[in-house]
Amino acid sequence: MTDFRNEPFLELRRAHERDRLIAALDAFDAAPPIEVPVIVGGERRVDPTAASVDPGMPDRVVAAATTATPAEVDAAVEAAGAAARVWGGMPAAERAAILARAAGELRSRRYELAALAVRECAKPWVEADIDVCEAIDFLEYYSRRAVLLDAGPELIQLPGERNTLHYRPRGVSAVIAPWNFPIAIATGMTAAGLATGNAVCLKPAEQSPACAFALVEALERAGVPAGAIALLPGEGDVGAALADHPGVHTIAFTGSGAVGLEILRRAAEPRDGRRHLKRVVAEMGGKNCLIVDADADLDDVVPAVLASAFGFAGQKCSAASRVLVHERVADVLSERLRGSLETLLVGQAETFGTDVPPLIEGASRDRVERVVAEAVQAGAEAERVRRLPDGDGFFSAPTVVFGAPPESFVVREEIFGPVVTVEPVASVDAACDIVDAQAHALTGGLFSRNPRTIAAVARRTPVGNLYVNRGTTGSMVGRQPFGGNRLSGTGTKAGGPDYLLHFVEPVVVTENTVRHGLAP
Amino acid sequence: MPDTLVTAAAPPVDLEPQLLALGRELSERRSPLHAATRGAYDRAMALAASDPQLRAALFRLVDVAPACAGSAELAEHLAAYLEELDEPAPPVALGTRAATSPLARRATGRVAATLVRSMAGRFIVGESVAAAAPVLGRLWQRNTAVTVDLLGEATVTPAEGEAYARRCHEALISLTAASKAWPERPLLERDGIGRLPRVNLSVKVTALTPLTRAEAPDRGRLDAARHLRALLRRAKELNAHLHVDMESMASRELILELVLDLLDEPEFADGPSTGLVLQAYLRDSEELLDRILERTAAAQRAVPLTVRLVKGAYWDHETIEAAQNGWTPPVWTDKAESDRCFERLTRRLLDAHPLVRTAIASHNLRSVAHAVAYARHVGLQPRDFELQVLRGLGDDLQDALAAAGLRGRTYCPVGDMVAGMAYLVRRLLENTSNTSFLASRASGSDLEELLRRP
Ligand SMILES: Cc1cc2nc3c(=O)[nH]c(=O)nc-3n(C[C@H](O)[C@H](O)[C@H](O)COP(=O)(O)OP(=O)(O)OC[C@H]3O[C@@H](n4cnc5c(N)ncnc54)[C@H](O)[C@@H]3O)c2cc1C
Repeated sequence: MTDFRNEPFLELRRAHERDRLIAALDAFDAAPPIEVPVIVGGERRVDPTAASVDPGMPDRVVAAATTATPAEVDAAVEAAGAAARVWGGMPAAERAAILARAAGELRSRRYELAALAVRECAKPWVEADIDVCEAIDFLEYYSRRAVLLDAGPELIQLPGERNTLHYRPRGVSAVIAPWNFPIAIATGMTAAGLATGNAVCLKPAEQSPACAFALVEALERAGVPAGAIALLPGEGDVGAALADHPGVHTIAFTGSGAVGLEILRRAAEPRDGRRHLKRVVAEMGGKNCLIVDADADLDDVVPAVLASAFGFAGQKCSAASRVLVHERVADVLSERLRGSLETLLVGQAETFGTDVPPLIEGASRDRVERVVAEAVQAGAEAERVRRLPDGDGFFSAPTVVFGAPPESFVVREEIFGPVVTVEPVASVDAACDIVDAQAHALTGGLFSRNPRTIAAVARRTPVGNLYVNRGTTGSMVGRQPFGGNRLSGTGTKAGGPDYLLHFVEPVVVTENTVRHGLAP
Repeated sequence: MPDTLVTAAAPPVDLEPQLLALGRELSERRSPLHAATRGAYDRAMALAASDPQLRAALFRLVDVAPACAGSAELAEHLAAYLEELDEPAPPVALGTRAATSPLARRATGRVAATLVRSMAGRFIVGESVAAAAPVLGRLWQRNTAVTVDLLGEATVTPAEGEAYARRCHEALISLTAASKAWPERPLLERDGIGRLPRVNLSVKVTALTPLTRAEAPDRGRLDAARHLRALLRRAKELNAHLHVDMESMASRELILELVLDLLDEPEFADGPSTGLVLQAYLRDSEELLDRILERTAAAQRAVPLTVRLVKGAYWDHETIEAAQNGWTPPVWTDKAESDRCFERLTRRLLDAHPLVRTAIASHNLRSVAHAVAYARHVGLQPRDFELQVLRGLGDDLQDALAAAGLRGRTYCPVGDMVAGMAYLVRRLLENTSNTSFLASRASGSDLEELLRRP
């Protein structure tokens, strides 16, 4: 197997690549909405009852999804349990080869899949392409890591005994995926389960069933056996039923803190005569701070704040949501941020150059608007982009909030929208104290040109991913293993060398090799 | 990679002897030591060239200097950079120790600040056009034309774009006023095609607009067009030359199309004199030249476009960005390929005379001598092509060119230190990179070796 390399992004600075994407989108729009089936044990049932729509033009139906019934959830887990024995019994290298083929399937459809992400989730082109690449990366990376893991670690060996440690698949993994990285995150959690020999039941976000379906199609075409992958579209109740199912061994979840904690709580309760402890890999929210020291290069800080706070309209768990800036440069930075807000193009995801697309749904937009209104009521000043597109897309104006009271909602809670607060601090230490006081610890940012400051912050920060002198989003598989601490998650690192350990159980075999005093 | 273009336009074999003679002549004519800043600067550069880690530390110091509130803070940074070295060189250990007591720290900081200022002073002509004017006048007097570049911080807001445009207008006006007093210099003021403006301003499009988006060149182009159109009108009214610098790949399409489109507009059919830049380090620079020549031929402007040929100043940036994104680098990876491409483009540009005016911008004696030899070979007069150098890097070459009766122009950055940092760091990087012509010469490489065909 070749060494892992991140899938190259499309070089969108070249016109011919952009033209190919536009052609792919035209083809996508010319086709009827995608019909997303329930897939259980390789069988498909199509009876659409729910629709995913283009957040930029909600009249446009992107996909019509079939909703999984409770009986289908049961059947899927049961089929998965049976398939897991076959799939898990296969040599790791064979499974890896199949997953690498699935990566190839995605690769061969990358323009079309990017178009799908543009339509179903309003991912602007650059980010839609990154989402496809990251999905490919997860398949390629985890399949390689699984082969390495399969070899097992070295143990101490003394004469007369042979010690081995190997990892067994845990059985059935439930994957509950979000819509904000509609292909990548679903693929990552699914690939981790499959690569380690588990069967996977995938419950996609109701906002992005077609993206998940594309993944399942790729896996099926690549040769993942029927039953080892199930697709269970639906709302939260489907996810809850799946996570609760006694036949599920591992739950991989990415989403809101409330749901994640509920999953963790229920997973811990021994019920239904279960013979195993469920393991939960949960990736939840963040309240991410970007610290700007007095010696920072503001030429770099401004674009990094814009990209981190407003990229994909702030709908990333890694998004920067508080800028903690040294008081010596606070006025200058604030002034430049205010001015730079005007440079943001709020627009349709399909328009090259759009900086801020619509939010995923009307409810999100309304929530963000409420947060901003409350902040203003509490005495804060909200600087907002004034030009929004016409039409009924779920657009929300990018907003920088100054002077928000420390206890206000906008300062304390995750917003998941294009809103960032700016708060002057007396020192980097004071900023670290603020970060330390938070319940969340997902990503953090630091702009400083002093190596000592960088080392000190790196030592004391609780966050899972600290980004220095760059934006806080855009982790790469294998290069920036991603995941948060504290209430942000279970401390697991997607795209990292130890992620797969959460999907396996270690077994140690010790054999006495001495026979009548003779050791071979 | 098979390169049919090389064979198609291979240099005539008989060019080499003249080229070598020219290279030797220019080398001999180089003025001895230049400027008062040499001592500290040379020592710093020698130190930097000797050790890549030290080089990095030095650049980071220069980079952070304007953001430091005082000499103690600068010393604190210096000490932190030096701490990161694997094995501190003796003077470095001194620096680390010096930063321990507050008094010593301020002293170290002051020394560092002086060093940084002296480096800046070498590359930056003055804090303002007014302050720079006497220097520009002296250069002109010594038979070297100039182009002024207004240094600026990155433009991230529309207001910053406006402010830069305003500074450009003011610079055109005050340079016009200042240049009235300059004595006549026939070589610099007229070529075989016509009059050459005395006032010459280089502008950066990314400083005019905060809307550079690599994947959406039209956004920045439409925004920058307003400003650039106004500047072209101003230049036309004042009979000045406006040169649009080329930057990184993120803005390349934006800039190229912006300039070519504006020059198609009827009001600019008869002026002003305008230029753009072709970067030979780009793998597709030959196709870019095709595009430029086609559009220029079609436009049929009364004043020909000037093309400044350079190797390209963003080599590290392009290489790193490509590696991080998994792209084939848009630039050549072997220095000699850039040099050869530069020579191919030189010949094509000089062949295209008088459709375009050519300015060869390089400090590489081989590249320059090649251009001069080829120009002679195709029968061009010295006034019919220009040779350009950067202030602080090409000062000795600039004097040699003037002494040899060639038409030279020096690119003169103007602005304060904060604004100049990115520029300064790029120049320092270039000057100490081990592939650079100037670094090779400084380290004592043999002249014949330096003049050898790449
Ligand atoms: C008057 C003037 C104006 C300029 N304007 C611009 C401008 O608008 N835009 C711009 O981009 N640059 C501009 N430059 C800078 C120019 O591009 C070069 O960076 C600089 O002149 C050094 O090149 P050289 O020929 O003098 O030296 P040399 O030492 O011969 O060449 C150095 C150059 O070679 C290239 N190089 C280095 N390493 C490698 C490698 N491993 N593989 C391939 N190529 C390599 C790089 O381009 C590097 O700058 C200008 C230069 C001058 C003199």
